[in-house]
Amino acid sequence: MINLDTLIEQANELTPLPATTVRLAQMVGSVDCHLEDMAELIAFDQGLTVKLLRAANSTASASAVPVGTAQEAVFRLGAARVLALTVASGARPFLQTRIPAYGLDEGALWRHSVAAAVAAETAPNFCTVDMPPETFTAALLHDVGKLVMGRFLSPEILDYIRRAQEVDHLGQLAAESLLLNVHHGELGGLVAQHWGLPPRIVQGIIHHHTPDQGLDVICDFTCLANQIAKRIEAGLDGKKFDLTIAPEVMERVGLTSNSLDNFCPIAASRFQQVSRHYNAV
Amino acid sequence: MTTVDFDYVRHYVRDQAAIVLEPGKEYLVESRLQTLARKENIASIDELVRQLRVSPQNGLHRKVVDAMTTNETSFFRDIHPFETLKKSILPELIARNGKERKLAFWCGAASTGQETYSVLMTIAEHFPDLFTWDFKYIATDLSTEVLARAKAGRFTQLEVNRGLPATLLVKNFARQGAEWEIREDLRKRVDFCEMNLVKNWLPLPPLDLVFLRNVLIYFDLESKKTIFAKIRRLLRPGGYLLLGGAETTFGVDDAFERVVFEKTTCYRVKQV
Repeated sequence: MINLDTLIEQANELTPLPATTVRLAQMVGSVDCHLEDMAELIAFDQGLTVKLLRAANSTASASAVPVGTAQEAVFRLGAARVLALTVASGARPFLQTRIPAYGLDEGALWRHSVAAAVAAETAPNFCTVDMPPETFTAALLHDVGKLVMGRFLSPEILDYIRRAQEVDHLGQLAAESLLLNVHHGELGGLVAQHWGLPPRIVQGIIHHHTPDQGLDVICDFTCLANQIAKRIEAGLDGKKFDLTIAPEVMERVGLTSNSLDNFCPIAASRFQQVSRHYNAV
Repeated sequence: MTTVDFDYVRHYVRDQAAIVLEPGKEYLVESRLQTLARKENIASIDELVRQLRVSPQNGLHRKVVDAMTTNETSFFRDIHPFETLKKSILPELIARNGKERKLAFWCGAASTGQETYSVLMTIAEHFPDLFTWDFKYIATDLSTEVLARAKAGRFTQLEVNRGLPATLLVKNFARQGAEWEIREDLRKRVDFCEMNLVKNWLPLPPLDLVFLRNVLIYFDLESKKTIFAKIRRLLRPGGYLLLGGAETTFGVDDAFERVVFEKTTCYRVKQV
């Protein structure tokens, strides 16, 4: 069986995110986040500047006037998207990994992560409660714990999890908690802490399946983004998921059933639009 | 795992700790005993059960019961009971016992201590004067292993991530290597003792508040009845019993009445 200490060690051993990314995440999480400061930081990172310029001038964000500097790109994209793009760039190599224990082929986790980030980006158009800007990043990284957990889920443990689900009608998360004393959300939170990401992002990742236990509305928004991402994927390729969104979550983010009906197709269309940029399809 | 071995283990665990393991729970027994076998350098579950059968009651028997006990816990678990404690129960108990300045609380399934320390942090934060009273907090558990951890008051990052607000972490804990250690003054307020709920109880004082959350769900009806009867005799008039969200005295011991505070249900002994 899995030793919990080994799992935690592994979570703490994932290659760190670049220093610029961590600093940007801290800026977005602080109360006095200034776009000028973000732009100044990014300007020193040539590779990142090129990526942001490409995003700012892409069809998804384009306006008639192309942007040419880091500052213009940051102002066009906004703090939340800049952070998400930066984190995406750093985390992409990990998130593209194949995780057979979760039935994820190469690229599948990346695709789901991008779909969740797109759902988070779209959510403010339909939710009446203000969404924390860090949600974008929390949504993108919400399943990062699967990278660690997936390495340890041997056929023997997977068999126990399957039997727990069958006998006690537990979901994946509850079965992981019962048998391993930890679930992939919690491991993801440890990874995010190890990467130096702000506490709000950590909370969103930990509680993306358990928003009732979270202490912040970012948990509800990240949970919503995950569920919308599943709906997008189910719509695109008929994947089977539990697509339920808890009424309490909808209430806490200020989303009505009618708004939800409109939210999903628009998020799906936006996903199609941006996924080429993210190489998610 | 063979049916015979499973039956042996589940009957033993039921006899020692009243934990009910119905047929179908083989996966749980196997997964927990597999971990124990590896820890104890025993080649297989079959061999572990064989050793249980042939050896007199020894450390291994105890470890099997510990392994089959679910020690799931977290800081401020379910949050609402702690809101109720702050808003309703503690103010009421403080008002009632103000003259005598004496209160006694008991947590009957303390596990690694998160619930107990959550209560103490709530008191420290909102009713610090209570610590100048004759205030007793007794925390018991079946497992000596988890009690030792509770007593040490040290928690991993994973454990503090479970329900502990950052402000309370900063205020009440100090980093010790990879772990977080709770303030010594809070740790010293608790008497941690080993006690099996279905065997002989320690002599507990008259109690104002009992926490027995998320433990009776694993017990059979007769054990629940016996435990509730003992608690009834220990609770002072107006004292409260807090159970887990899936637990109730209803249909088990009707001498208790439900008291609902917003999202929290508590129990107290009906006054005749």
